[in-house]
This record gives sequence, C-alpha cells and structure tokens, in this order.
Amino acid sequence: MNELPLTYILIAGSFIAAAGGLLGSFALLRRMALVGDAMSHVALPGITLALIFHFDILLGSIVFLVLGSFFIWAVENKTKLPVDTVVGVFFTLSLALGALLATKEEIIDALFGNIVNLNLSDFWIAVLLSSVIVGIVIYFSRRFTLSFISADLARSVGENPALLELLFLLVFAIAVAVGIKLVGALLMGSVIIIPAATSRNIARSFNGYLLGSALFGVLGAVLSILISTSYNFSPGPVFILAEGFLFSISFFFRKK
Amino acid sequence: MPKEENILEVRRLTVIAGENALIKDINFSVRAGETVLVLGPNGAGKTTLFKALIGSLTHTGEIQWGEGIKIGYVPQKVDLERDLPITVKEFFKLKAGVKVDEETIKEALSDVKLDKAYASRGISELSSGELQRLLIAWAVLGHPQVLMFDEPTASVDIAGQDTIYEMLHTLQDSHNLTLIMISHDLSIVYRYATQVLCLNKTQICYGTPREVLTPAELSKLYGENHTFYHHMHSGNSHE
Repeated sequence: MNELPLTYILIAGSFIAAAGGLLGSFALLRRMALVGDAMSHVALPGITLALIFHFDILLGSIVFLVLGSFFIWAVENKTKLPVDTVVGVFFTLSLALGALLATKEEIIDALFGNIVNLNLSDFWIAVLLSSVIVGIVIYFSRRFTLSFISADLARSVGENPALLELLFLLVFAIAVAVGIKLVGALLMGSVIIIPAATSRNIARSFNGYLLGSALFGVLGAVLSILISTSYNFSPGPVFILAEGFLFSISFFFRKK
Repeated sequence: MPKEENILEVRRLTVIAGENALIKDINFSVRAGETVLVLGPNGAGKTTLFKALIGSLTHTGEIQWGEGIKIGYVPQKVDLERDLPITVKEFFKLKAGVKVDEETIKEALSDVKLDKAYASRGISELSSGELQRLLIAWAVLGHPQVLMFDEPTASVDIAGQDTIYEMLHTLQDSHNLTLIMISHDLSIVYRYATQVLCLNKTQICYGTPREVLTPAELSKLYGENHTFYHHMHSGNSHE
C-alpha cells in the first residue's frame, strides 16, 4: 500500500465530509436520519463480495447501495408497508450477511473505515465523486427543499416529488459509498447526519444551515485526521466523536 | 366583463384508496372569476378532491384544466418542524418559475397584510395565522389564475376568520383570481360563494348557493342536526 501524504488525506476527508454534511441537511429535512443510517449498512455485503472476488470495494458498495435506494423508494412509493420496519429488517439482514462473508480484519476496515490507507486513485475518486454530489445537491437545492417541506406544494408548482426523492436517495447512496473509506459503513450515516444536526441548532437561515453543515463536516474531518495520525487511532470513530463534541457545543447556541 | 369560459372541467372523478372510494363520481366545471366553495362534513373527501385537482393523487375520470392555467395552492396545513431554519424570503424563493426579488417579496407580503420586516423572519417563528397568510402569499406569487384554498378555519382563530376571507376576496379582485375553497362554515357561503359544491364522498349538489342550499340538501349533506357548527369549533381547537 503506497501511503499518501497527509495533505492528500486531509483534502479527501474534507471533500467527503463536505458532501456528506450538505447532503445531511436535506436528509434531516426529509426526516430520514435513521433510514439513512440503516442504508449505509447495505454497502457491507457489496464490500465483502468485492473482497472475496477481488474487484473494487467502491464498485461493490455502490451496486448494493443503488439497489438499496431503489428498494426504499419502491417501498415508500409503491406499497403501503411502513418504511421503517422494512428498512430495519432488510438492512440489518445485509449487515449480518456482510459480517458472515467477511474475515475479521476486513470487516473492521469496512465497518469503521481507514482513510489513512487511501491510495492515489481512491483520492481522485473521492474528490471527484464528492464534487459531483455537492454539484447535484446545490443544483437541485430549491426543488429538494420544497419537495421535502411539502410534497403537495411541490406538486402544485409542477414538481415531481417522487422522482426528486429517487434522485436524492441515489446521491445519498453514492455519498455513503465514497464515505466508507473515511469512516466505514457503520459510521457513514453519522457523517451525513451529525454535522447537519449541529448546523441546524445554530442556523438562522437555510443558506446558513447548508453552509454550516458542510463546514462542520470539514472541521470534524480535519480534526479527526490530525488527531488519529498523531496518536495512531482509527480515524472513523475519532471523526464521529469530534462531530459529537461539536454537536454538544452547538446545544448551547440553540435557538429558543 | 371578460368572456366567461371554463377553466376547469371535472368528469366522473373517483379516487380510490384500498377498497374504499374516498370520492366517487364527481362532476362539475368552473368558469373564470367564480368563487367555488366546497362544502361538506369532516371526512367527506374535500381535501382528497383538492389533492386530485393538483395532480397529487391517482384517480379515474377526467380533470381538465384550461390551457396555460397556473394554480396557486394553499394546503390545509404544512407540517413544519419548530427548528426548521428557513426565512420567509428563502421560502418565497422556493417557488418554481418565479423570479423573486426584494420588490416581489414586499408586494407578496403586503398582499396578505404582513409587514415587509417579515421577510427576514424564520417561518417556524410565525403564528399559525401568520403562516396561513404566508402560504396564501406564496400561492399567488407568479400570478396564477386559480387559487385553491383548503379549510382556512382549521388554523385561524375566530376573530381572524373574517380577515382571511376578506383578504381572499380582495386578492381575488386585485389578482383576477378564480377561487376554489374548502370550508366547514356555512355563513361565508352566502357572502362570498358564487358556486357551491356539496360533497360527502359523492356529489350531493352543485350550483349557486340560492339554488342548491335548500334545507333538504343540507340535511342530506350534514344529517338532520346540522353538525357543521360543531366542526367549526373543533377546527378552532387545533389552534
């Protein structure tokens, strides 16, 4: 494994965290904090299959995550089943399947991530995909917002909330796949949710909320990568702890 | 006087959920400039009808809007979380196909008798009455020809009721609107409605208030003991 200089790791981490944070603002708006978290587990069988059959982990996770997105979307839109229940059952099953297939060491990296082991192609993929995610989210920002606040209002001005939702889930899936390098399948949900929750505590406007979510993500990524390389910790869990710390501070600034 | 023409035609409209028809075999047409009041007890399918009209529900039968007709829609409620960080100005900017600048926002707010200082306030800080007005202002932004207004009494206090209807009436004149609204409240029918659609799963009546609101039709709609007064009060208790 050819290790990259720290600057590269910091840059990749920041891009991933910014994309995750931005996406998280909308995930919270749509009240899919838990569904999103559970969805990140779907990557695991993909990762383990990739390890067994020697193809790229990112590819493995993306395939499973995209299928997972369609699955959630279909359950929400085409059936009357309660989404939470189906997601809870199906996604823990994928976690179990992944755990059964993988060896112990692989599973730790897959579950908790290790951005320090990033190679150059990983770096470029992370930067590129994160930029694409940020681009899509900003481009569709207005339509996502309206649609998630009130699907009826969105329909009354000719939007198609169901399609927007599918797009959002797909972008979400790609973000999770990219973020697995940083924090792993188990914790990626938190990369998306916690910075947005922190920002929401203090933001007064929607633009401030979006910006804050991305910035808190980046701050957490930089802090955790620096701490974990200095003290030889696994960066994923440190990231979540750093984000959790920022979140608890934000409580003191919470709007009345 | 503008030439009267149908801007909406509804034929054999039926919406089914599971095995039950929420509304069944609805037929009516609306001409430009009319004020149509949809009247009926709780659970009669009034909101269902509205959602079908904006294309939000799958249905059978025909809903035909006139060519180029834009609709402004004020839903019964918008389920906002208390800590949603979005300002009134940002909320206006969410409207598709409308260029929203300072001037537009000022006008939109003054249309619904809100001070321009509201532009920078968070929408979750608004009272339910203010939010209702904001939704009306949002709906008429970009000059739609039709305003659909769902059940105003549900979130506005009794003292505010007249104001909302008067405001709608004024807006109708200044914006040249066709108004389709839902209400429980019979007293506003005679004051504002040109047409009444009585709905209780099926269509009980459609016509001018004088024609259709006979004691016989009313008891068909609400039962013998006119429980709509009760609904008016229970609507208010959401406050």
